Amino acid sequence: MLNYSNVITKENSYSGIQMKEIRPVMKLIIRGKKREFLSAIGKSLNLLLPTEANTSSSSEKLTALWLSPDEWLVYSNEISNPDNNNYETENLLNKNISKVNLGAVTDVTDQFVLINIKGDKIFDLFETGSPFNFNDFRRKKGSTTQTILAKIDVIIHNQNQNEVNLFVRRSFSQHLFSWMSDSASRL
Amino acid sequence: MFVINCPYCGEREQSEFKAGGEAHIVRPKQPTELSDDQWAEYLFMRKNIKGVQFERWVHTHGCRKWFNMVRDTSNDEIKAVYKMGEKPPTK
Repeated sequence: MLNYSNVITKENSYSGIQMKEIRPVMKLIIRGKKREFLSAIGKSLNLLLPTEANTSSSSEKLTALWLSPDEWLVYSNEISNPDNNNYETENLLNKNISKVNLGAVTDVTDQFVLINIKGDKIFDLFETGSPFNFNDFRRKKGSTTQTILAKIDVIIHNQNQNEVNLFVRRSFSQHLFSWMSDSASRL
Repeated sequence: MFVINCPYCGEREQSEFKAGGEAHIVRPKQPTELSDDQWAEYLFMRKNIKGVQFERWVHTHGCRKWFNMVRDTSNDEIKAVYKMGEKPPTK
């Protein structure tokens, strides 16, 4: 909730790839197993959490990514107010989930950096540094994966045709961004 | 290098995983009644055979879940993958 300034100040573009950081975007990790947890989340957010592996679901305001059978990443589709450290969604979930011991809600807004990548060569770029097989991933809009890119843990969300959201831990973000810039310049 | 079929995420490359040693080791019910040798046997001694072995693995760079795997250590052939708490396959 500190809302640090952005790490990546540049907006790099190469042939077939444009990438930039998007901030501030609210990001929450929610964890829970019980059926009541899933229905409480559904009611509070007006959004059903995806239960199928490697998928996502979204509403008008929020997107939920499947991370593991009991863990999801929820992020806001729109940029939030940079002067505001308080998220309505988080307060709501704290009240409806954490306080009643249904599950855990953790604010990871400042832990993860969201890098938005556009272009038709995104997956050529990923192939240069990831062991993940992107063949099915790229065809299915909304697919999600946690994998390694240039030996760094990343969460990748296939948002649209030729548009991908990539989440990376803040301390790795600058390095990953420069690695991706370097790699993209050689494609 | 080989591909592991994570019971939660599907097929992923081995570098996303970490091995967690032998599976199905049961903690003795009454540790106080054991001799030091028996306790050391439980604590430290692990099979390291050439052939089919039951192992624990964790999908570190993916869903971070632990699961069990039956692997032939001589050729890395994976015979079966099953979740924690499930019974190991008999064949």
